[in-house]
Amino acid sequence: MSNDTDYHQFIDNEEGWVDRRIFWEEEIYERELKQIFAKSWQFIAHDSMIPNANDFYTTYMGEDGVIGARQKDGSVRVFLNSCPHRGNKFCFADEGNARSFICNYHGWSFGIDGKLGALANEHVYDEGDIDKEKWSPKQARVETYKGLIFATFDPEAPSLDEWLGDFRWYLDMMFDNDGETEFIDGGIKSYVNANWKFGVENFIGDAYHALWNHDSGLKAMNNGEGFGPAVTENSYHASVNGHGWEFGTDGYADVVIGGSEKWLNYVRDIIKPKIKDKYGELRSNIFGSLASVSLFPNISFLPGIQTFRVWLPRGPKKLELRVFTIVNKNMPEEIKQEINNACMMTFNPAGVLEMDDGENWEGNTQVNKGFLTRQEKLHYGCGITREIEHEELPGIIYKGQFNDANQRHFYTRWADLMNADSWNDVPTRYTPRHTKTSK
Amino acid sequence: MTNLSEKSAVPASMELTFEVEQFLYKEARLLDTEEFHAWLDILTEDIHYWMPYRYQRYRKNHVEPTVNHMAYYNDDMHNLKRRVLRNDTGTCWSEDPATRSSHVISNIEVEHTDNPDEYTVYSLTTVNRNMNEDEEHLMVGHRTDVLRRVDGQLKLAKRKIILDQNIFMNKSLNVFL
Repeated sequence: MSNDTDYHQFIDNEEGWVDRRIFWEEEIYERELKQIFAKSWQFIAHDSMIPNANDFYTTYMGEDGVIGARQKDGSVRVFLNSCPHRGNKFCFADEGNARSFICNYHGWSFGIDGKLGALANEHVYDEGDIDKEKWSPKQARVETYKGLIFATFDPEAPSLDEWLGDFRWYLDMMFDNDGETEFIDGGIKSYVNANWKFGVENFIGDAYHALWNHDSGLKAMNNGEGFGPAVTENSYHASVNGHGWEFGTDGYADVVIGGSEKWLNYVRDIIKPKIKDKYGELRSNIFGSLASVSLFPNISFLPGIQTFRVWLPRGPKKLELRVFTIVNKNMPEEIKQEINNACMMTFNPAGVLEMDDGENWEGNTQVNKGFLTRQEKLHYGCGITREIEHEELPGIIYKGQFNDANQRHFYTRWADLMNADSWNDVPTRYTPRHTKTSK
Repeated sequence: MTNLSEKSAVPASMELTFEVEQFLYKEARLLDTEEFHAWLDILTEDIHYWMPYRYQRYRKNHVEPTVNHMAYYNDDMHNLKRRVLRNDTGTCWSEDPATRSSHVISNIEVEHTDNPDEYTVYSLTTVNRNMNEDEEHLMVGHRTDVLRRVDGQLKLAKRKIILDQNIFMNKSLNVFL
């Protein structure tokens, strides 16, 4: 693909299709690393994962390995995990606590702030051979939203608040419904031989698959009882800047999936009343209903089930899934463990729902090795005429959570960023109600 | 390391070791042949089936996982029955065609415990999983079990599995290890 490729050619929101080549072609993937992952705000860690000074967690932004580290002043720095001398990683742990990192190859050391410090056998360098400030690993911009630490390597990117935009109206239901949140200790990492976008787009709007694909999983968790019929009334897709939340406005479907009565009661008696007090009736009704969420480009979570995950790209045909459980800090320990167990039973590689998802996404991806197969389009036309204005719900709103709307808007945002030479080229495609934009 | 009590220091007899080995081989066969209800029958009602998460840490930062951390499995009998129920629903699409798996159980060691009816059993489980057209996955786990003698028969009362893999290398863990 040349640089003057128009990436909107790969999606059509009038006819409702997506070109399969975006899930397969190496050139498109390389462009994603540059245009999506080198520019977007991405999830690094939850505050609770690195609570103390010198705590660190290693992850990836695109395929760039990074370290997120808590500083002595409580701030977080994020920097490349690659020694500027010959390039080796200088931290090989997933997490821990360290005052410094020392590269195995020649013994160059780096402070917890990421700055180059002492070199082993430093006397072999003459005065003036190296400017340590200049030869320190590249640092990212870091901002947090309600305990979630984000970073971007793009100095020109809009602020995190603007990036999230009116999606914060929805996020607060999850990340500020009763005080601060935290992650349960540990996490599960796994590989799926699928394009990263298939995980994201599933969580962004695909309520539809749950009824069919997860019938066995829900029956396992719910005493043999499956989902009710697909109700298209009083449920919605909401899209803001490529982020998407699909949801109902009543019921407890996403809590029932966890199969814990104690957690169900806690949602009914504690969480929902708190949300009602703080944010009003509508959002109190949304929380716990059949719902799923993704943040552009690669973060997802399920309110009520409480799984939180990132889909790290590993080439166009493989992703690394990192799974966490999110709870409120002030919940009784017993409820936290009910949630953790319910979450693990359903959404990790051994989860009774998750086990079915990976199969689909690998199939979606791997069939495209067929040259003719990947010239065929994929249908994204469900609910294409159902866009509405809603007096309370911000963002681009579609009626009926069984819909491809959030997916279509995710791919529109994807194409906007794939095309953009600068942030001025990236349109704001919704009408903000709660967010000031710089343009 | 825990101190071995006097009883656990007494070596298990060849007879007991043979009985335990046969129990583990039979269990492996029930899992390979998907006889999950028969498998549930050889577990105690208070079974704890646990496979904690795994992270790579520096030696000085070692953390021993607890049941309050994330886990692949942290199941009691109720949850294990749920997993078996999933396979019985008739709508478990990803298991039809069926997964083909082989459990190779080795490195079996038996120790007495302070409870005369319970034994600590160490073993290595090596599972080859073949599924769909041509997908093959290898999973190797270190198991620490507690076997309990109930009405003369051995049953599995506790299992802890530590997988070698740091990143789980497959899309799904759809076999018991």
